[in-house]
Amino acid sequence: MKIGVYLCACGSNISDKINFQEIKVVVEKIENVAYVTNLDMMCSYEGLKDFEGHLRVHQPDRVIVAACSPRDHENTFMLAMGNAGINPYLMQMVNFREQLAWVTSDSDRATQKAIQLLKGACSRVVLHESLGKESIDLNSDVLIIGAGPAGLKAALTLAQADRRVTVVEKSPMMGGKAVRYEELFPKMECGPCMLEPLEAQIVHGPYAGNINLITLAEIIEVKGFFGNYIVKIKKNPRYVDIHNCIGCAECVNACPVSIDNEINFGMNKKKAMDFTFFGALPNATYIDMKSCLRSKGEDCQACQAACPIQGVVNLEDKEETIEKNVGAIILATGHSLYDVSKFPKLGYGHIEDVYTSMQFERMLSASGPTGKQIILKNGLEPKTVAIIHCVGSMDSHHAPYCSGVCCQSGFKYNYEFHHKLPGTKVYHLYKELVSPGKDSYGLYNSAVHNQDASFIRYNNIDDLEIDAHHGQKSLFYRDATGHKHRINLDMVVLLPAVVPNADSALLAQILDVGTDKMGFFEELHGIVDSTKSKVKGVYLAGSCQSPKDIKDSMTQGSAAAGNILSVLVPGRQLDIESITAWVIEEKCAGCKVCSSVCPYKAISFQEETKKSIINAVLCQGCGTCVAACPAEAIVGNFFTTEEIFAEIKGVLA
Amino acid sequence: MGNKPKIAMYWGSACGGCEVSLANVHEALLIIDANFEFVFCPCLVDTKYTDIENMAEGEILITFYNGALRNSENEQMAHLLRKKSKIIIAYGACSKDGGIPALANFHSKEEIYNTIYLNNPSIDNPYSVIPKTVTTVEEGDLYLPEFWDTVKSLDQVIDVDYYMPGCPPEPHQLVKVLNIFLSDEPLPPKGSYLGVGKTTVCEECRRVKTDKKITKFYRNWQIIPDATTCLLEQGLLCMGLATCGGCGGACPEANMPCTGCYGAPQGGSDQGAKMISALGSVIDIAPLKELPESEIPNYIDAILKDIPDLAGTFYKYSLAKSLVNRRVK
Repeated sequence: MKIGVYLCACGSNISDKINFQEIKVVVEKIENVAYVTNLDMMCSYEGLKDFEGHLRVHQPDRVIVAACSPRDHENTFMLAMGNAGINPYLMQMVNFREQLAWVTSDSDRATQKAIQLLKGACSRVVLHESLGKESIDLNSDVLIIGAGPAGLKAALTLAQADRRVTVVEKSPMMGGKAVRYEELFPKMECGPCMLEPLEAQIVHGPYAGNINLITLAEIIEVKGFFGNYIVKIKKNPRYVDIHNCIGCAECVNACPVSIDNEINFGMNKKKAMDFTFFGALPNATYIDMKSCLRSKGEDCQACQAACPIQGVVNLEDKEETIEKNVGAIILATGHSLYDVSKFPKLGYGHIEDVYTSMQFERMLSASGPTGKQIILKNGLEPKTVAIIHCVGSMDSHHAPYCSGVCCQSGFKYNYEFHHKLPGTKVYHLYKELVSPGKDSYGLYNSAVHNQDASFIRYNNIDDLEIDAHHGQKSLFYRDATGHKHRINLDMVVLLPAVVPNADSALLAQILDVGTDKMGFFEELHGIVDSTKSKVKGVYLAGSCQSPKDIKDSMTQGSAAAGNILSVLVPGRQLDIESITAWVIEEKCAGCKVCSSVCPYKAISFQEETKKSIINAVLCQGCGTCVAACPAEAIVGNFFTTEEIFAEIKGVLA
Repeated sequence: MGNKPKIAMYWGSACGGCEVSLANVHEALLIIDANFEFVFCPCLVDTKYTDIENMAEGEILITFYNGALRNSENEQMAHLLRKKSKIIIAYGACSKDGGIPALANFHSKEEIYNTIYLNNPSIDNPYSVIPKTVTTVEEGDLYLPEFWDTVKSLDQVIDVDYYMPGCPPEPHQLVKVLNIFLSDEPLPPKGSYLGVGKTTVCEECRRVKTDKKITKFYRNWQIIPDATTCLLEQGLLCMGLATCGGCGGACPEANMPCTGCYGAPQGGSDQGAKMISALGSVIDIAPLKELPESEIPNYIDAILKDIPDLAGTFYKYSLAKSLVNRRVK
């Protein structure tokens, strides 16, 4: 065994503090050390050339590079090892710079510590083994769950790069919540007009051929791992062929069944055979089968008969299970609003004209129940309204965070009242007001300068109570200074906290993706990698990861697509990292301690053999399972127990 | 007699359970006797130390050394038997890893003497008499072995060929091992554990294991565990996870958690440390998401407080061989 030791001077960074001559004298005598050489600026072009040349001439069996942190240049020197024809894993770095030269002014002690560290490295490096790089084929197709702004943006971005994309949407239409808003903050632009071009690209654009949109569908099973997922999708019957329906609405007119319009919260009616709302894309109707006469045993075929195109309405449509192979998955399942019935004092559900923000948005919408008119249940226009911010938000008993988007909605409603019903008194009740970002100031400014608007701060949602007596609604509240007041009013709009969709929990279970305590999907890292989940190959986009507005959802959709484009390149193989953990099958007792500790879900249990197995593609080599395995049946490549103990013994020698 | 290979079993610092395991081979003892000659076994044969001293080097085929090394006599006998034996087997937990006697390494010799001979409610020792290596009486000097400060395992004193773990080893394993020496099969590599499973007790335990999320630990008397689920998952501190198999999972089979008597599996490093590491991985930390950082240690402490006697639980049989093998201060 022949160890070659290389000491990098790093300009004067290292050599100023550490006495290389003294080190040489001691280290040359360590067992197996063939030579100790000092080089300067090893990471530079010249330095690497010298290093490689030296390696070629001396052909050491193991190499120690004492230089900077391995975080800095381990990869650089590993590449050089490879270039010199030596397996890169036969090298051990010793951090002379960050952990030594930079943290002391005592040259003698630094030199002593340098010697001890080299002793450790010498003991460990002899145990290093050549590790190979394996690679596997990967599938570059992508599954996107959710066809809201984030999912659609990701789908289009990927499709434009010629990736095949499957978009699974649980509702009959695209656009998520955003398409249901008539006007969008911060600039009061038309919501459907913003979304529809994107949606049109998905179904009819030049890259639509790369996109397979499956509506009324849900994910029932996901197997496999990054680059090689097998997904089962349950597609519920729509009874209408979305590709050939031209949206003429003949079937709607023919349908004899009138039902509560779900998208407008039952505030108006629609047909059992109908669009989600007029203008929704794909521009195709669907049957709400639970209300259709056919589900009651009648053989109604009115819609099919009315349809001018043969075969578009298929009353025999059945539930199908579709299987897809994909390489990556984007979760873009969006959000819902906090259940305001948890605050019975706010009157929602039992006092008329108390609305959630989503309901009020529909009232503002051209496709809404009132055709854009703001009116009370009694048909009159409201004279006094309260907009209650922070309903559930910033409350440790409910949603312990600021939802971030509700203030802008509140200011938008203020604007609407001011312009549609001038003179309406608007009371904003809030815990905190936020309007961050370069575009938010406009609506904020217009709201605070609305002479009919008042802003009242409260401390606790329990300090507010809506009451109705003899047709007079009142808001009783205690303000932030503790004073009690009463306002008589006509309408209340609640701005509930943004919370994850109820389906998130099930998807989290299917995909083994973590959620935080509210149920938002957990990101790999909140600052550095908020678009990736902790499961390699599963990406996050939009408000399923954290409350966010449409702009940020779109941005995150693009980011998720970009992440995928950078790692799933057709024709490129997936390199499996060598520094991973693996199970010595014979030693595995099947106790399952490891199963739950892997943050990357790389460990599975084989029931047939009663042994755990680690998927090298998913394994990130963190070593958690290696430490946890009580039978010592798991080996962490490059950080084996033997190597670590040898290093400690060497350092202490 | 005559040409039969000679075997010996020494009784070091131990409870006598290892001898019981020999007695528990029942009628197989006749087969052992037919094939081997017991030249030394304090519970069976009245052999004097001088008889051993007079034997030729390597005259004994196998010595089963049971018990830890607590005093100078244990040490002298270890050296003597090493010289006279071809093969030395560290027999039982005490010989292999220090066993229960090694838990005394949490105390100094002085503290132990103080508790046993001086300050103890049941002691009446007005002259503070403690054992001495030499006591002079009218008839002459009397000698006692010297009591050490630290209990050691056999391989910390002499070269050991094989190990048989267990407290005590299973009788059928003893018979199996003797059969190896009667057969023509090549002997296992030096240092092997004999009569053991390849991995931990969990492999032999028939209980159903799932993902472990422990929220509370119980002592054995506090609950009656169900008969089919992993005992650890029920909150009983079962050491089976980190303990070498070979016993057939006898304790969990009898609804009792494994106490770890076989020590770490062959090649394993530190049984107690591995168990601590594993427990750190299976305590349910999901509720931590709800807690502010300052509360996290309290949550963990509340779970750990139910584990009594941490060292005595995790290192019941293996303290002498553990990374931190005694109290230093």
